[in-house]
Amino acid sequence: MDIRLTVNGTEHALSVDVRTTLLDALRERLELTGTKKGCDLGQCGACTVLMDGRRVLACFTLAVAAEGAAITTIEGLAGDDEPLHPMQQAFLENDAYQCGYCTPGQIMSAIACVQEGYAETDEQIREYMSGNLCRCAAYPKIVAAIRQARPLLENR
Amino acid sequence: MPDGTQTMIGQPALRIDGRAKLTGRARYASDEVVPNPAHAFLVTSSIARGRIRGFHLDQARAVPGVLDILTHENVGGEAEKPKPMAGGDTTSTLESDRVWHDGQIIAVVVADSFEAAREAAHKVRVDYEAERPSATFGSPGAEEEVRKAGEHKDYHVGDAEAAFAAAPFKVDARYGTPTQHHNPIELFTTTCVWNGSKLTVYEPSQFVYGLRGNLAQQLHIEPGDIHVISRYVGGAFGSRGGITARTAWIAIAARRLGRPVRLVPTRDQGFTIVTYRAETRHHIQLGATSDGRLTALRHEGWEVTSRPSQYNVSGTETTARVYACPNILTKVNIVHADRNTPGFMRAPPETPYMFPLEVAMDELAVALGMDPVELRRVNDTMRDPATGLEYSSRSLMECYDQAGARFGWKSRDPAPRSMRDGDWLVGWGCASAAYPANIGPAAVRVTLTPEGRARVQIAAHDIGTGAYTVLAITAAERLGLPIEHVTVELGGSELPAAGLAAGSSHTAGICNAVAKACEEIRQKLALAAVVTNDGALSGQDASALVLREGALRSPAGAKEDLRAALSRVTGGVLEVYAENIPQGLPRESIGKAYAGQMSMSRGHSRQDATTYTFGAQFVEVRVHSRTGEVRVPRAVGAFAAGTIVNPLTAHSQCIGGMIWGIGAALHEATEIDPNAARYVNDNLSEYLIPVNADVPQVEAILVPERDDRVNPLGIKGLGEIGIVGMNAAVCNAVWHATGRRIRELPIRIEDLL
Repeated sequence: MDIRLTVNGTEHALSVDVRTTLLDALRERLELTGTKKGCDLGQCGACTVLMDGRRVLACFTLAVAAEGAAITTIEGLAGDDEPLHPMQQAFLENDAYQCGYCTPGQIMSAIACVQEGYAETDEQIREYMSGNLCRCAAYPKIVAAIRQARPLLENR
Repeated sequence: MPDGTQTMIGQPALRIDGRAKLTGRARYASDEVVPNPAHAFLVTSSIARGRIRGFHLDQARAVPGVLDILTHENVGGEAEKPKPMAGGDTTSTLESDRVWHDGQIIAVVVADSFEAAREAAHKVRVDYEAERPSATFGSPGAEEEVRKAGEHKDYHVGDAEAAFAAAPFKVDARYGTPTQHHNPIELFTTTCVWNGSKLTVYEPSQFVYGLRGNLAQQLHIEPGDIHVISRYVGGAFGSRGGITARTAWIAIAARRLGRPVRLVPTRDQGFTIVTYRAETRHHIQLGATSDGRLTALRHEGWEVTSRPSQYNVSGTETTARVYACPNILTKVNIVHADRNTPGFMRAPPETPYMFPLEVAMDELAVALGMDPVELRRVNDTMRDPATGLEYSSRSLMECYDQAGARFGWKSRDPAPRSMRDGDWLVGWGCASAAYPANIGPAAVRVTLTPEGRARVQIAAHDIGTGAYTVLAITAAERLGLPIEHVTVELGGSELPAAGLAAGSSHTAGICNAVAKACEEIRQKLALAAVVTNDGALSGQDASALVLREGALRSPAGAKEDLRAALSRVTGGVLEVYAENIPQGLPRESIGKAYAGQMSMSRGHSRQDATTYTFGAQFVEVRVHSRTGEVRVPRAVGAFAAGTIVNPLTAHSQCIGGMIWGIGAALHEATEIDPNAARYVNDNLSEYLIPVNADVPQVEAILVPERDDRVNPLGIKGLGEIGIVGMNAAVCNAVWHATGRRIRELPIRIEDLL
């Protein structure tokens, strides 16, 4: 099926199997491999991207259903020579990651968490970030990073 | 090397690979872009024991886009079985019609697209000759044998049986720990690309040379014809140490097709196509005097393994030497069942074996009416009770004192059920952590340019541990450069060999190798600078010169900038290759690393001293008095691991390990269908791991410790220590909250109702 996907502000025309997930389209077709496959079952959160500003699981979204939406992936937050997005910078400074594999999903989810207004307290952050598993267990530092980045995001 | 030069080692540094990971540019194995890959999907067995009578492949072949289907019938003879790192033999896959366990790879479907491969794999029909499988301990047909000493030792010191019989205070109890799976978030992917006779393998690995050497043996090709690439690894925890069966079949699929093949297995397949932590059982007997001194320690363990494997972790090698005790007896048994072969998983021996010891110590403290911390103090020792050797350093009680003070242990009421907060029963528990300070051989190439840039090339592995950064820190310090001026290349078999990134050995192995190479650079520059007639350092003592802030400097302040110093030895760049062979290992151990064989100097196998990392864990639990729900509002751990190269990433490692320990106590267990010998909860929503809401406050203290004997840089390693003992600390806290002594993990609500 021929579709057009708008990812990080760029429109891509591609032909996909109707069963192709947004995750596989990003990774296998557009070489945007920052979005990760951790379970392909909507259980781990590693594939979290923003669709029209909302956080969605790319493994649970068919590519054909993403047509017409503005999709933001981790690659869309900071270009090669640009400063990091405040959430990325906060993850860096707080060492809020180890292996880094769940990290793109954590960051996309964290940005949405702030924008949803669910980052007011540490307890709220923990609850609304619990859909993103981190097997290295950087959780306390992820909370600290979101707490640090929140005011910067609110003022953006 | 001259003293007093350490300025960067021990200072927190942000990860140098941070930007790549945070922007999505870091290429994990399945992210590497290869031309026009075909996609593989595994077919796994739906029985746990028996033989394959035949395949029905017509429906699968009819799926548009299907290119090939590999089974034992068409490729069985093309590869040898992979050789596991430990335990001798293992189960087979496509080599024959034999089925050893549920979920065994029995066919590989290759297609133009992932979707087509998946559809076709589900259309493969298999006729089996099924036999009744044995699932685990106590299953009919499971075979128990006493583990023979080989890879692991038993300890017989004094007369533990008589001492136990005579002891006025005793603990005599049985414990159990469950099956667990590593579940790193990155799946167990493999991508193979042939270029003529040369094979490139992209696979997340903790040992790229191990993967290369073993794959070469399996496929009967030259190791030099294989290039393994694993620049970033999405979590490992032991699961990516040894080669597994999938790699050879994907290589063969790519060779048959003349096209790159990529495998991204499913999450549930990850439960059966790689290793796991086997369930264990324990019998502990402790005897003590009325003032708490141990007089007898007996620890017998039982571990499950596959039918052909002798794999076991024998954590009695640690439990025999944590406390002073004149009479020690240990024994380990293995139980063969129709299961996949287990393997290393974070603190493989200590996580399951320190649990019973540390719960038993808590039980002994209760029997004696003693504070559990004081019981550890009474039995602290600077001499290894199992061998009589000295500990090279041991700061167990400093860890208890610092963590205990931070936790507020002093205000604990020792009586169980005494610290209630409304409907919540509050409990405080503690436990010791111990892990051997291991180290492997490593080679490295360090290149220094006149512009003051350095490059470190080493086949090390950054599995989230911060290896990129500790390598850069070590080179920067020893060459006198800013960290930003050091680049690090790792994770590829084109680089000088480093051993396995496991067993808390990697930082010690690779950083000591870098320090050695940098010392050779310093010596070359210093010797050239002092023998010349015209330089600022002419005639100086070469051994006293150091590289600092972009110059070669004497203690008195004379200096020569790097460009000038370098120009005396080279018109270009200075490149040094160095090998570090740890004390106690033969010179050939570096050759073994190149050949892909593991060799490691272990903290309990040295002849000169016992080298161990110690720690103390404190935890608060809250158990709801009516529902039995258990929460862990806070935990404090303290760890003394010698030199800490990067306290920032070390701290992350420690809290990560502690959270793993909380998961081991309360969440993690792979459930096994006793009739089918099948893992039931093989996904991330039913295999419970801690999530953010489960761990509000976890603090780790890095206790300063200097160890001049363990290795030149004094690094004892801390990837594993954070998990050790935490399961027992939680269990002990649950006893304190509820008065219930749970001896089988994980602790569930039903245990507390």
